[in-house]
Amino acid sequence: MDTPTIVSRSRFWLRVWRNPVGATAFGILLLLMLLVLFGSIFYPIASDATDPLNILATPSAAHLLGTDELGRDMLSRLIAGGRVSLSVGLLSMLVGLTIGTLAGGLAGYFRGWTETVLMRMVDVFMAIPSFFLVLVIVTVMGNHPLTVIISVGIGFWAQMGRVVYAEFTKYRSRNFVEAVHALGASHTRIMILHIFPQVLPQATVLATLGVGWAILTEAALSYLGLGIQPPLASWGNMLQNAQAYIYSNPWLAIYPGLLIATTVLTVNVLGNTLRDILDPRS
Amino acid sequence: MTTYAIHRLLQGLLVLFLISVITFFLINLAPGGPTAAVTLGRTAEEREAVLRQLGLDKPVLVRYFDWLGGVLRGDLGKSMNQGLPVSSLLAQRSVNTLQLALTALLLTSIFGIVLGVLAAVYKNRWPDHLISSLATVGMSVPAFWMGIICMIMFAVRLKMLPSSGMYSIGQEFSIIDRLRHLAMPAGVLSFNLVPNVIRVTRSAMLDVLASDYVRTATGKGLSERRVLLKHTLQNAMVPVIAILGLITTVMLSGSVVVESVFGWAGLGRLAIEAANGRDYPVILGVTLLVGAIVVAVNLLVDLLYAAVDPRISHE
Repeated sequence: MDTPTIVSRSRFWLRVWRNPVGATAFGILLLLMLLVLFGSIFYPIASDATDPLNILATPSAAHLLGTDELGRDMLSRLIAGGRVSLSVGLLSMLVGLTIGTLAGGLAGYFRGWTETVLMRMVDVFMAIPSFFLVLVIVTVMGNHPLTVIISVGIGFWAQMGRVVYAEFTKYRSRNFVEAVHALGASHTRIMILHIFPQVLPQATVLATLGVGWAILTEAALSYLGLGIQPPLASWGNMLQNAQAYIYSNPWLAIYPGLLIATTVLTVNVLGNTLRDILDPRS
Repeated sequence: MTTYAIHRLLQGLLVLFLISVITFFLINLAPGGPTAAVTLGRTAEEREAVLRQLGLDKPVLVRYFDWLGGVLRGDLGKSMNQGLPVSSLLAQRSVNTLQLALTALLLTSIFGIVLGVLAAVYKNRWPDHLISSLATVGMSVPAFWMGIICMIMFAVRLKMLPSSGMYSIGQEFSIIDRLRHLAMPAGVLSFNLVPNVIRVTRSAMLDVLASDYVRTATGKGLSERRVLLKHTLQNAMVPVIAILGLITTVMLSGSVVVESVFGWAGLGRLAIEAANGRDYPVILGVTLLVGAIVVAVNLLVDLLYAAVDPRISHE
């Protein structure tokens, strides 16, 4: 019997790959990414080009999935919108991950007043329902794509911080940390090279689930008209006008939502698989 | 217990105070803040007059304490767009959100607990797998899209439910009418929450089912039904109550979207209106209120929890 609590890093990724559910989710996600990244090479209709003679058209050879209320090609908008939605999701998660890891890591490692101040901040940010927080930031900072990314990331950092903090406090008094400290390693070196790699699997799980959350948040924000602004397409803002056409053209609303749901579902399945591998008890 | 309660209360108040500091300064120090909003397209003299009239010419620290003093007296300022006091707007909208949230909470508890218990009883068999798959789907579907799909299905195709609004215009108030309007928004709101309850119920049930006293109860010859409902479920409910705080936060976030989709005039909708109209006093008031709700619910849950499980307050 080997120790069940710590899964070694190389084995961790191997087990993800060998898990049929995890591998499938990963495959679907890869496919979606390839589609939005390279789709426009094979389907070269501009996403903001209007075709005034074919407004709200049904699928045809010219427009594979039909057109929207301005005569823009649905498929090319879905591809372009996916690029925006996926990048905002990934980048927001990175923002949240960076702030959360820094705050949680410093608080867990140094303790004392650093811990008090940082963890109190975490409490505060956890107490404001995240969507309201994002809303406040977007209202004052405007809705440039970059501010959308940052505000969605800020909506997520506290959760990340709490997990990283718990992990850092767990490892900081372990023998191997004391050993490298006795060998003269600096705090920065210990944190980055010795403790952080131990935290990485846990952080990966949360970061994966965080991407799903970020995509959902951006979509909701853009749907409400406060996120990514047209003519730039995102899966969320494509739904904004589609609601007006649910009587005549329900497909306008169905396509983008289906893509959001599929993406977030695969991301969540991947995240859950990672968690099950790390903690088989749950 | 009393010391613990006082400690938690003070902690809650501190968090609330910090929320007010962060939101106030975030809003007032940002380049696009209130000062910029009211001075847009005015001459220098007009600008000065408007700023003085709204009290925006004072230093931001003074303004914060003026505002905080008002908040403590129940005065949250005036809406810049509607001219009404923020506190009466909040009171008016809270009632609607409360109706929606309580209905959603009821649906969430029923579906979450029943499905969670089923998943635990049939652990690792097909009902468990089916329920956990459904839970993952529930977590992944965007609420606003779910809302639109429900509208297409129940309002457009089946014509069973009204597509939006809180009541039928031109009709007298009736409970049935209100419930028909509540059905879709409350259902959609709880859809994203049920997975959380399922997960916690399932794992709590499994913990309790594996405990010695449940085995004793079974060994004494009690019926399976009695062991499950009387001995297991009651104790498994303790961790479920503990996630009420989480449910409150997720539900408040979700209400913003759901209320906008279905035209429900609650707090979430108010926040969106304020964000779109750059109505800073309102957005500040709403954020403070939802923060206060979360802090209060968490405090209540912690105290309940400590009362049920004395080990906690002695830590």
